[in-house]
Amino acid sequence: MRIGVFICWCGSNIGGVVDVPRVVEAVSALPGVACCSDYKYMCSEPGQEKIRRAIAEHRLDRVVVASCSPRLHENTFRQVLAASGLNPYLLEMANIREHCAWVHQQEPAKATAKAIDLVRRAVAKAGKLEPLHSAAIPVTRRALVVGGGVAGMQAALDIAEAGYQVVLVEKEPSIGGKMAMLDKTFPTLDCAACIITPRMAAVARHPAIKLLTHAEVTAINGYVGNFKITVRQKARSVDYDKCTGCGICQEKCPCTVNSEYDQGLGTRKAIYVSFPQAVPNKPVIDRAHCRRFTRGKCGVCQQVCPSGAVDYAQEDVLFEEEVGAVVLATGYDLFDWTRAYGEYGYGRYPNVITGLQFERMNNANGPTGGKIRRPSDGGVPENVVFIQCVGSRDEAKGKEYCSRVCCLYTAKQARQVLEKIPGAKVHVFYIDVRCAGKAYEEFYQDAVARGACYIRGRVSKIYPTGDKLMVRGADTLLGRPVEIEAGLVVLATAMVPGAGGAELARLAGVSTGKDGFFQEIHPKLRPVESSTAGIFLAGSCQGPRDIPDTVAHAGAAAVKVCALFARGEIITEPVVARINERLCTGCLACRLVCPYRAVEPKSIPARGGAPERTVAVVNSGLCQGCGACSATCRSGAIDLAGFSNEQLLAEISALCH
Amino acid sequence: MSNAIAEPQVIDLSLGELDLVDEIKELGGEELLECIQCAKCAAVCPMALAGFPFFNKRVIQAILIGSRETLLDDSSIWACQSCNRCTEICPRQVRPFEIILAMRRVAVREFALPTLTTDGLKSLFDVGHAVYLKEAGKSRKKVGLPEKPPSTLAHPQALRELQAIMRKTALAELGIIPMGEAEVAGSCEV
Repeated sequence: MRIGVFICWCGSNIGGVVDVPRVVEAVSALPGVACCSDYKYMCSEPGQEKIRRAIAEHRLDRVVVASCSPRLHENTFRQVLAASGLNPYLLEMANIREHCAWVHQQEPAKATAKAIDLVRRAVAKAGKLEPLHSAAIPVTRRALVVGGGVAGMQAALDIAEAGYQVVLVEKEPSIGGKMAMLDKTFPTLDCAACIITPRMAAVARHPAIKLLTHAEVTAINGYVGNFKITVRQKARSVDYDKCTGCGICQEKCPCTVNSEYDQGLGTRKAIYVSFPQAVPNKPVIDRAHCRRFTRGKCGVCQQVCPSGAVDYAQEDVLFEEEVGAVVLATGYDLFDWTRAYGEYGYGRYPNVITGLQFERMNNANGPTGGKIRRPSDGGVPENVVFIQCVGSRDEAKGKEYCSRVCCLYTAKQARQVLEKIPGAKVHVFYIDVRCAGKAYEEFYQDAVARGACYIRGRVSKIYPTGDKLMVRGADTLLGRPVEIEAGLVVLATAMVPGAGGAELARLAGVSTGKDGFFQEIHPKLRPVESSTAGIFLAGSCQGPRDIPDTVAHAGAAAVKVCALFARGEIITEPVVARINERLCTGCLACRLVCPYRAVEPKSIPARGGAPERTVAVVNSGLCQGCGACSATCRSGAIDLAGFSNEQLLAEISALCH
Repeated sequence: MSNAIAEPQVIDLSLGELDLVDEIKELGGEELLECIQCAKCAAVCPMALAGFPFFNKRVIQAILIGSRETLLDDSSIWACQSCNRCTEICPRQVRPFEIILAMRRVAVREFALPTLTTDGLKSLFDVGHAVYLKEAGKSRKKVGLPEKPPSTLAHPQALRELQAIMRKTALAELGIIPMGEAEVAGSCEV
């Protein structure tokens, strides 16, 4: 065994605390150590060259680097070994920066002693290291996108345009998402529908995109490059092959229901197309409200349908799709303020609405044909009050975070009130106006210049007086409480993760942050990758963001998918669990603790003609090398490659001596 | 301006006169809407240090919410020392000092001005000096200066011209001070 040890100063990070020459001296005397040297920055090119030269000169067969956390530079040093013709897994690291110099800054003598111990441990383990080899797994060049809003559509189109097949699953009867509900978009004031509806048509038309609406993902199995997805196509009660989308059914349907698309401000029928530009532009039956299903009566739609497309007997269909990568684009919902804000009336006052309801009202397609009206009596509100941060930045009642889009859409809506209602007064209550975006600050200043009156302070109470509402707050810039009579109050409610996000996270094995948004693996360097390889994040399911940022994020997720597909195969990490079938008793305790669902049972022939017996088998594509199974195994049948029981025991005994 | 009226506890924004903004812009505070309430002006304002509640940036905020009465019921706008530091330091070139002057013009239109101001205006019209001490002549003589300074005091024609100008200003329409055609008093001391 010829072990080379390389000790890094990390500038003064390590060298300022640990006595590096003393460590070199102590380590040089250890058995098996053929050479030991130190350098100011071992990760730099001269540092790497020093290692390469030593490997050649001393004919080293194992390398120990004592520097920072392996999370930072293990890969760097593995590449150095590979370049010198050594198996990259013949490297062992000792973390003498985070685990030593940094935490024992005040005790240099003890830090030095600990550094020597840590290096001795690494040398002991290095002596037991074995070469490990990566494997290549083929990739299915087909992607699943979950969610058909602006993020999902962008990702699907980008992947499809790169020449790969895409399956797009949307739970609603139409794609389009929240953006299809908006009126105009900041800061350019271009109409949302003019942007989104051509995209919807492009998705439906694209030969490489398989569009599944009114459908849900019910299972995600497999691993990066080789996922098996189970999709439930919910019964539409309409045969889309026969339906021509003529619309007679919804015209004649006698059952009226609150419209989700109009956010409860308008109605739809029990058999309905969500909105006139819906894709696909064919109806579904809402079985929870349809009289045929709730009372067993009616059947008007079937009678009037000229093409015989209405099919009450249709059932949900489950089917499987095989894909190599998954993009989650499940978007956001609005924080339910009616459960939290008693001071704003818990939703009792019809003239207190959300920003999204205002969008519907303001939209030419909406329940009032684009006129801003009081929901209570249809009158024109002369005083409109906007309240920002309802649920956002409110730890007591809502969320700690800023929802990022409300400042701008409130400024936009304020402008629209001033344009549509001559002589109207607009007051905006705010805590901060956050306009971080290209042309955003200018847009806000423009709203002020057009007459929107901004009051810095949070509204503490809304109460009725006659047919009007009184809004009580404070002008903190003036230091005085203020009050205003309002005809309409618009709340900028917080963005929260889309409904069903938690269930999907469980299915996909993706971790979520404390607010329920999907967690990216690195906030700066890997913003579209989830904790599970091959599953990517797009748009506001990962955190609140506006349309330009959502589209950029979705494009980035698409590029990651395309990069995976372009390679065509995945090089697997060899640090995975291995099962010694001779020792395995088939208790499958390992299967229970595996967070990646990588362990499966398997039957093997038993010795001596006895019946078959069960043993555990690890899917190396799914295994992430966490070691939970190895620690759980009662019979010691599982070894984690690179962290075998023998190697760990060698480390422990080196530390104990 | 009357201190007899109790300050309302709560400002009613429904009564806010949003055209006050336009009035101020007309009267010299053109850059009013540029204000971002950063309070850089307040940090240099001697009024703020002296404890007046409506120093520069608060005058601007009260105007923005159209709360005319709040400013008219308070003496703050008259406490401005015209040091002009706010205008020098403002990052958005709002010129807060000009806005205070504009607000004073609004106040004068409504006769909401302190009595001292009336005295000063009357003195300006009568002798050409807003502030002029009776004893000034003697003191000037003592130090070897002519009793009357080379201003309207020494030149009655100049005073008549000044009065002609003042009669053409908005001040004359308001009738706050008498601006009669009476012969200028021989003695110009007040």
